[in-house]
Amino acid sequence: MRWLAKISFRFRSLFRGNAADCDLDSELLFHVERQTAVNIAAGMPSAEARRQAMIEFGGVEELKEECREMRRINWLQDLLQDLRYGLRMLRKSPGFTAVAVLTLALGIGANTAIFSVVNSFLFRPLPVRSPDQIASLAVQQGQQPLSTAFSVSDIHDISGPSADVFSDIFGYQIGYEGLGVKGAAQPILINYVTGNYFTALGITPRLGRFIMPSEGKVAGADPVLVLGYSYWKTRFGGNPNVLGEKVTINGTPVTVIGVAPAGFNGVYSLVEAQGYLPLGMLTVETWWNTHDFLTKRDLRNTVLLARLRPEVSVKQAQAVLKVVGQRLSRQYSVEDQAMALFAFPERLSRPNPDPSLKIAKIAALFLVLAGLVLVLACVNVANILLVRSAARRREMAVRASLGAGRARLIRQLLTESIVLAFGGGAAGVLLGTGLSRLLSSINLRGDIPITLDFSLDWRVFFYAFAAALLTGVLVGIVPALRASSCNLAKTLHECSRTAAAGRNRFRTALVIVEISGSLVLLIVAGLFTRSLANAQRSDLGFDPNHLLNLTIDPHEIGYNKEQGLAFEKQLLERLRALPGVRSASLASIVPFSYVTSNDFLQIPGYQPPAGEPPPLVWDNFVSPGYFSTMSIPIVDGRDFTDADNETAAPVAIVNQSMAAQFWPHEDPIGRKFTFGSGTPVTVRIVGVAKDSRFQKMTGPMDPYFYVSLAQTYLSLQTIHVRTNAPPEAIAHEVQSAVEALAPGMPVFNVETMTQALGTLQGLLVFRFGAGLAASLGVLGLILAVVGVYGVISHAASQRIHEFGIRMALGAQPLDILKMILRQGLMIVATGVVLGLLVASAFARLLANFLVGVRPTDPYTYAGVSIVLGIVALLASYIPARRAMKVDPMVALRYE
Amino acid sequence: MSKPTDLVQGTLDLLILKTVALEPMHGWGVAQRIRMVSREVLQVRQGALYPALHRLEQQGWIRAEWGDSENNRRAKFYSLTKAGRKYLDREEANWERLSSAIGLVLKTAEG
Repeated sequence: MRWLAKISFRFRSLFRGNAADCDLDSELLFHVERQTAVNIAAGMPSAEARRQAMIEFGGVEELKEECREMRRINWLQDLLQDLRYGLRMLRKSPGFTAVAVLTLALGIGANTAIFSVVNSFLFRPLPVRSPDQIASLAVQQGQQPLSTAFSVSDIHDISGPSADVFSDIFGYQIGYEGLGVKGAAQPILINYVTGNYFTALGITPRLGRFIMPSEGKVAGADPVLVLGYSYWKTRFGGNPNVLGEKVTINGTPVTVIGVAPAGFNGVYSLVEAQGYLPLGMLTVETWWNTHDFLTKRDLRNTVLLARLRPEVSVKQAQAVLKVVGQRLSRQYSVEDQAMALFAFPERLSRPNPDPSLKIAKIAALFLVLAGLVLVLACVNVANILLVRSAARRREMAVRASLGAGRARLIRQLLTESIVLAFGGGAAGVLLGTGLSRLLSSINLRGDIPITLDFSLDWRVFFYAFAAALLTGVLVGIVPALRASSCNLAKTLHECSRTAAAGRNRFRTALVIVEISGSLVLLIVAGLFTRSLANAQRSDLGFDPNHLLNLTIDPHEIGYNKEQGLAFEKQLLERLRALPGVRSASLASIVPFSYVTSNDFLQIPGYQPPAGEPPPLVWDNFVSPGYFSTMSIPIVDGRDFTDADNETAAPVAIVNQSMAAQFWPHEDPIGRKFTFGSGTPVTVRIVGVAKDSRFQKMTGPMDPYFYVSLAQTYLSLQTIHVRTNAPPEAIAHEVQSAVEALAPGMPVFNVETMTQALGTLQGLLVFRFGAGLAASLGVLGLILAVVGVYGVISHAASQRIHEFGIRMALGAQPLDILKMILRQGLMIVATGVVLGLLVASAFARLLANFLVGVRPTDPYTYAGVSIVLGIVALLASYIPARRAMKVDPMVALRYE
Repeated sequence: MSKPTDLVQGTLDLLILKTVALEPMHGWGVAQRIRMVSREVLQVRQGALYPALHRLEQQGWIRAEWGDSENNRRAKFYSLTKAGRKYLDREEANWERLSSAIGLVLKTAEG
């Protein structure tokens, strides 16, 4: 039972600390009394007897501390004691505490916010069973870009031979539809899912049932709808009686059979699925989907995922897929030509699989930058603590003389700094929560509801906790080591002024680190800002100003093709008649939107390179007047006209890049090509348009072609309206025009073209990067300035005595000013040089994320250095002025 | 105050345990007894004695109780626990072995 005795003993000393101390006092007192009694018996006078007994005894307090040391559950008891003491010390100097907590809160808050973003892209698993087993599939044909689009036949072609590594291959297509309840239609983002989608994910419905593996195999056969949780909450008020309710999707009746669980928003990280229909319900006649899409091998629009069998790695699956891809390429040499299949861990595939791991690299970059900000905050607080530790040397010396060991002192000081860091951490998490909410609410624009969920989960809290703990140790360790390493007798006799020279060197080094760190942050911010400016200035080939966009889909209120065409004709006429409108036209694709369209082309006389599939080219279905509305010049041939309708021969307009690529030495006008895998259409080129950007802000122009909307009907389309006045002004009138013509028609994404450019493919990444980097840079600058100010003013105040003597000996105030400024200049210059070296090494990693600016851009480097230098010198000028004005008499009497 | 080396500390522990094995005894008594029995050769300093007592108590070899001393003052009496007895026996045997071994070496070296 020894351990029991030990435990009870330990707890007694823990909770009855004072009683135990009392015991110890009486025990030692008893000893002294006995010794005194013996001494008296030996013939000493009683006072002398007691004195001798005490001398023999030695240092009572030290002995007591040693006894306590022997019996403590040390760390726990000490911790409580240190915590109490630390909190008391912090309460006693509220100014210092506030500054330190705020500084650390900024550092930890910035880290928390950025980590919450990284978390949502890279770490947070899907809320499904064994999320690590989910892999994203991708396909590449020849040299074409990696794609996530598969045909339904591909599912069967791949899942058979890969059954050893994948237990399920499942997928979905995204459609933006109109959900009608009792006649009123509203937009809903539908995931058309394979029957095994829910069973493969292994989730349970909130209500009712999910779509079953047997469903969705036949076109139009299973009209069952599963609602997303938040859509069910908002559109149906969370009503459980929704089960069994008959609603319509684009006019087709479907029955609600279930509700997905809260937190599950589909498997595509950016787009929240509001409802789920069986894949077979994708019966809408569109250009990219025909009735035979369930069996047509080359109709590739389905995103596929797979569940790995237990104990199977993505690497093993990849090896199997390689063989499957080769086999399929041989077996179906037309549709599956040069097909290579890939699997990626789902978490590294957000939003899309990317073998170059660009998202992960950006994430790492910003985590490093945020970490740098935290280091700067730590350096500042460490600096203040060093000043305090100098002031507390006497306190430490007294404690040491009362018997506290060095380790004990370090532990106590560290406890104080960790308490401080946790205060900063708590405030930082609050700050970070606010920041990540702000980031989540960024409007991603575009024509479908994109969601960012950067909410905090345990991973973020753990990260913040670890950051705070590390911060506490980093901030406290050096001051603690220094404060506890003093020579007792010397310190107690020493007056506080003289102790500082060595410590100042260390603090100066800290500030140099700080300046170089903040220079690195500012340079990165500068590069990103210039890159954003370049992206904003880049010539898009069309004029985004004075353009209003709004998206409609006549199919959502049940209009068929004829009704839709008639409606659009009337609508355009009405819009063109509005005052302030210069022109109006329709298009299926908005530049830089999330909806894109491309097709394989068959071009007579053009032979793709050996082993390569036919060329894949981006396209857009537009109405007459599109090019003048967008201000895209037609450089050759003609625009579409109203005569280019269903009854006329199909025509196309290509851009300059497409003309140059496929008809390099001849006039493209009059040439023909065939596109479309659903229902191939052969078109004759009637015009060449100037190149304009639709997909990428930078890089070479892509080939692009336009066909007449009246000849190849698409129900989902965007109205572009070019205005004289600011486009927002007429948004309301345009919407009223739609409502007057087709009551109940949902109109969404009413926005200006400049707003529409703020998408992920557009300016968003540049803005986000520049904004984030600039915030971190400004934070770094502030911290560095505070650091410089703190060190210079402390150094100046310690030399007041010296300045007094110098002035008494005839030095002019200006000499004093120069002396201090010289010190500041030394620090700043060293920091800037160091920072430039680090930045030029670090910036190479940025090369991939910058537009039109080199990572070692001399203007940015010079400009930022000058700004930082001036600001830092100003920070040392203030204490220098103060020192200059010192009255020599006062300075000499100082202390 | 320099810390006793391991050997010295271990020896002091052994002496204390052996002393309180006879009867419950307070700190002063332990010091006196060791001095007497060793014929004034071993002087146990208080600075080492009390931490050792507290350490031994924490390790569970001895337990402490408050009781009346010979001069009717309250004093803290230490007595050997069962575990302490076992430990003492083991350490005593160790000590015998060690000292006879050292004696052997010294003798052989001389002879």
